[in-house]
Amino acid sequence: MPLSPLANRALERDGLGPIRDKVLAGERLSDAEAVRLLETADLAAVGALANHVREKRHGDLTFYNRNVHLNPTNVCVANCKFCSFARPDDKHASEGYTMSLDEAVGKVVSKRPLGITEVHIVSGLHPDLPFEYYTELLSRIRKAWPELYIKAFTAIEIHFFAEKFGKSYEQVLRELRAAGMDTMPGGGAEIFHPRVRRKICDEKATADQWIEIHRTAHRLGMKTNSTMLYGHIERLEERVDHMRRLRELQDETGGFQVFIPLAFHPEHNMIGKAFPKPTGYDALRTLAVARLYLDNFDHVKAYWVSLGERLAQTSLAFGVDDVDGTVLEERIYHMAGASTPQALSEKTLHELIRAAGRIPAERDSLYHVLKVHDGRPQAAAESRVSA
Amino acid sequence: MTARLKAAAVSFLNARPLWAGLERSERIELVLAEPSRCAQLLEAGEVDMALVSVGALPGVDCEIVPGIAIGADGPVQTVVLAGEQSPAIWDEVFLDTASRTSHVLTKLVLDDMGVHPKFTLLPAEDGLARAKGTKGALVIGDRGFGVRANHVIDLGREWTRMTGLPMIFALWAARPGRVTPEDVQELTRAAQHGLGIRTELAQAFAREKGGDAEKYRRYLTQRIRYGLGPYELQGLEAFLERAAAKGFLPPMKLRFVDDVVKSHRTRRRVSLDTALQKGAEGERLDADEAELLDEKAPLLELGLAADLRRRALHPEGVVTYIVSRNVNYTNVCTTACHFCAFYRPRGHAEAYVLGREELTQKIDETVALGGIEVLLQGGLHPDLGIEWYEDLFRWMKSRWPQVNLHALSPEEIWHIARTSQLELGATIDRLVAAGLDSIPGGGAEVLDDEVRRRIAPLKCSTDEWLEVMRAAHRKGLKSTATLMFGVGEEPRHRVAHLTRLRELQDETRGFTAFICWPFQSAHTRLEASDTSAHAYLRTNALSRLVLDNVPNLQASWVTMGGGVAQASLHMGSNDFGSVMIEENVVSAAGTTFQMDSEEVERHIRDAGFRAARRNMRYQLVGGAAA
Repeated sequence: MPLSPLANRALERDGLGPIRDKVLAGERLSDAEAVRLLETADLAAVGALANHVREKRHGDLTFYNRNVHLNPTNVCVANCKFCSFARPDDKHASEGYTMSLDEAVGKVVSKRPLGITEVHIVSGLHPDLPFEYYTELLSRIRKAWPELYIKAFTAIEIHFFAEKFGKSYEQVLRELRAAGMDTMPGGGAEIFHPRVRRKICDEKATADQWIEIHRTAHRLGMKTNSTMLYGHIERLEERVDHMRRLRELQDETGGFQVFIPLAFHPEHNMIGKAFPKPTGYDALRTLAVARLYLDNFDHVKAYWVSLGERLAQTSLAFGVDDVDGTVLEERIYHMAGASTPQALSEKTLHELIRAAGRIPAERDSLYHVLKVHDGRPQAAAESRVSA
Repeated sequence: MTARLKAAAVSFLNARPLWAGLERSERIELVLAEPSRCAQLLEAGEVDMALVSVGALPGVDCEIVPGIAIGADGPVQTVVLAGEQSPAIWDEVFLDTASRTSHVLTKLVLDDMGVHPKFTLLPAEDGLARAKGTKGALVIGDRGFGVRANHVIDLGREWTRMTGLPMIFALWAARPGRVTPEDVQELTRAAQHGLGIRTELAQAFAREKGGDAEKYRRYLTQRIRYGLGPYELQGLEAFLERAAAKGFLPPMKLRFVDDVVKSHRTRRRVSLDTALQKGAEGERLDADEAELLDEKAPLLELGLAADLRRRALHPEGVVTYIVSRNVNYTNVCTTACHFCAFYRPRGHAEAYVLGREELTQKIDETVALGGIEVLLQGGLHPDLGIEWYEDLFRWMKSRWPQVNLHALSPEEIWHIARTSQLELGATIDRLVAAGLDSIPGGGAEVLDDEVRRRIAPLKCSTDEWLEVMRAAHRKGLKSTATLMFGVGEEPRHRVAHLTRLRELQDETRGFTAFICWPFQSAHTRLEASDTSAHAYLRTNALSRLVLDNVPNLQASWVTMGGGVAQASLHMGSNDFGSVMIEENVVSAAGTTFQMDSEEVERHIRDAGFRAARRNMRYQLVGGAAA
């Protein structure tokens, strides 16, 4: 599948001919080349190259799932400067909350009639909840709804559990897994580089700890996701440094399913006063360069809750093959000023994907295709959900 | 000139806005008749067209005049069932002899209620007098206004409740082959005129027949709808289908006047690569090539080609913007376009005309924010003549001589010419003498009459829109041009739009810029087709390729958001429009993006360009690009 004459012409004009040749030959890009692509103010040309890689891997298929978010508590001992969600306690302030187990399990199970296939559980680092709260939460959801995929707890929470309850990462992960956890979300990665991390989330797990936790999860046979919170104080080199560490671990374990760059949202947090929200241009070039640089990742996701439907749709021409899901009950981005809807119907997702000339494909948490919505009848793929 | 065509119409109040403007027509001669006679005259060939009741259509060999009808979306007041007791127990209903549509509607509504009485034809007064006990009566037309009974059922309301659609009662039908597009235009103009004088028609009717003029005015402006767009067509088709399914009317297929005049061009075979290559090189694309690109070219291919054109036309890497304020001087409008959420009828509680005090505040604010232009647009207010505009312009120019007055879309200029009974050229001359500097390209929507008649039947035609621009350009005024896509148009319509603009630009060189945006459908009556970001970016890039003689393309961040607008800077656009101090029309339909000049410049810089302020003529102002 050759690049179009117009794309070739633009890439050569920009001096990107050698990078194009490497990409077409399936060779890996260097960090400097990734920075070069990020700096090239030619979105259409870089996008065309990223789109080439995307179509080679997935054709027109564009993935989504039907999911619900659960944030059992927003009480958090960490003091991340980019966060609008966390509250210091749930005792006095009216905005801090912690769900009882009944409440949390009930919230998830009530979504059963909606055909949801995944629950995404992320919480604050609560100072008082016992470990059993978490294992119980998982096992009760698992029991009430055995076929539901549970994607739970960022590396930051795993690290917190390990410290607080005196367990190794492996122990924590094994116990949570035994209670029902299937996969891990990629949150808490922020920007790995120590210069940035010191400034924006000094009290959180370090980059090495985040990597170690995902490595452990992968070794135990779990699939996980990965993220990058961009568009605040980091330099372009530091974004590439972040992606390099992910690419290295992926070479080692192959356990990452997807890379999700997340745009920093500035409202109601401490960084936002100094830094406006990154523009849509930044989102599109970051997604495109991620698709080109992360050659060992299957999927690059545009999180529509953060980007909005219009940019998420546009990104489907710039290397993206996954738009997340219906996302019921999202709170974290909305507390940071996201003006996007609280949830999208499956029909709206289909329309958005189809209007971009792509084919909607519903997936489960492990990226098994459940149904390709191309208007043709078909047998459902092997998966827990269809079983 | 050929002999005048004959048109039959009823004298009912609700029909008057459609024929009042024909009384002095040189093309069409008006004959007033009873409703049932109208269809007979048409069938017998004694008239060329007639305002006929929809229920009479299946029996008559005819073509429908597009765009205009008499209907209601909810209560209608003049088609009612009345009785002493609830209709649930009726065993006989007296049908007014005047209109077949109402008979069918009565049967459909009662059938829906599970009531199946006997139907007897009787004149209305007799029927109403006998509507006691288990008897009910249908009362239609102007008699319906005064009906007093224990149970009054508004059949317009019932229909809309049953179907969620408007009810169409009557429309212009013509003998096959007799009516030309020019005649359709004449009927449309007459309707435009009549809708503008509904207050006067209501007063005249009250003098003639008695009753409350204000009540009649509200009826004409708020109850009855005169457009026949896609939404109304759905209502019409639902009525005919349901009636046929129940055996109340024979089945029929609607045929429109323009079905016979519509030309279907056969497209030359062209290759996508050739068309893209030609576009990228700046060679002129013909309609076949442009249509192919619109239908088939992937977003990034169009984008890369458009980016080459942008680089060729604007090699300096500067993206411009203007500090301007959009002031909507009135929201009163008579055209009632299906895609508009902004307009209010005259007399509506939310109707307004801005006074001098409000204008002063708005313009002072604009100047304080570094604004150099006011974009002044409004609805088609039936009471505002040219003197009102001249006074306003002179006052604005005397107080703020430095502020560019970018005012009045072609539709408004036609409206002023009509209300003040002036020639177009004279209208423009007087407005320019009073201070008009340039003309915005609004109201173009889709410059193809097939689409315009469907979405904005009462707006000016493509030729009329272009005529204003031609006249203005010849007098040295500059203007912009727009396209609103996503109203169910096809690629050939968008391409026709672009090529018509390109032709005029060849002739006058008066367009400084082009801007397209998707239809915003919230709170409007028209369903959108593809209005996604993807469609926007493709349409914008295609426009860059086809409009090879229009120098500037604005990115529509107001409708698309900053990110998609930034992407468009890499796929054809070279301008970021205006900082938004105020905008009412698009925001009335749901879009709320806002940016000040700092934010506009950040978006431009972040996308890899230098930002510079410009004026309406795209000359840079206020120093070098930042």
